[in-house]
Amino acid sequence: MTVTGAIGAIFLFPLRLIIDAAVALRIHPNVLTFVGVLINAAAAWALALGRFMLAGVIMTIANVFDFIDGKVAQELKAVSRFGGFWDSVIDRFSDISLFIGLIYLYSRLGRTGYVIVAALAMMFSIMTSYTRARAESLIPKCKVGFMERPERIVLFMIGAFTNRMAAVLWVILVLSIVTVADRIFYTWRELNSAEPEPIA
Amino acid sequence: MSVRFLSLPARIVWNALFWTYDRATWQYDLMVVAILAFVWLTPPEWLSDPMASGPGLIGYFAQWIR
Repeated sequence: MTVTGAIGAIFLFPLRLIIDAAVALRIHPNVLTFVGVLINAAAAWALALGRFMLAGVIMTIANVFDFIDGKVAQELKAVSRFGGFWDSVIDRFSDISLFIGLIYLYSRLGRTGYVIVAALAMMFSIMTSYTRARAESLIPKCKVGFMERPERIVLFMIGAFTNRMAAVLWVILVLSIVTVADRIFYTWRELNSAEPEPIA
Repeated sequence: MSVRFLSLPARIVWNALFWTYDRATWQYDLMVVAILAFVWLTPPEWLSDPMASGPGLIGYFAQWIR
């Protein structure tokens, strides 16, 4: 087992208990998704105030809701196409709200450079999701590139808990740009290889 | 796309850029280690971090060598 696999397995244990509780209470997964975004808005507020440790704690709680909604939907047999759509849309609101919190913080501190870095990281994070969604309307699968939402969220929490948000923003920005480029290139290659050869 | 014609360092860079590995693979672990090393070891002042304080691990080593 790899290190990240082992860490995932360790965290799955308490999450399993929360999933079981949500299933026992028959909480609708769409409600869990919505509660997640509300808690993320609170995390964004903490980021905006520069209270990173508090933001990290709130983000952890929010991401529990983010993580369990799909599992609860499976166990309650409440998986629906709308649920998938709702989850994707709400996730974008969660992502954007965290970035807005940081943009507010850096603008309040008069750090225009980091306002730009955070804004660009936000743009490429959204484009990471958009390129995949759009690509998968044309080709069967476009799951390439490293910086997806779970990586972004974990990095945000690491940045908040260890007060290294600037470094985290640079990592998110650079790897999101690479991921978007990767997805564009992959889709171009797949579409070109699928097109029939011209007859000589 | 075949990258067999590339040298080993070029192949490593290519595979890191055109990432196709799943989570919980050794390649993923390696990438995580590289990212965490950058985040935790880079002195915040090198990045002009508006919030972080302290020199970071590389900064400590640099001070120690001096």
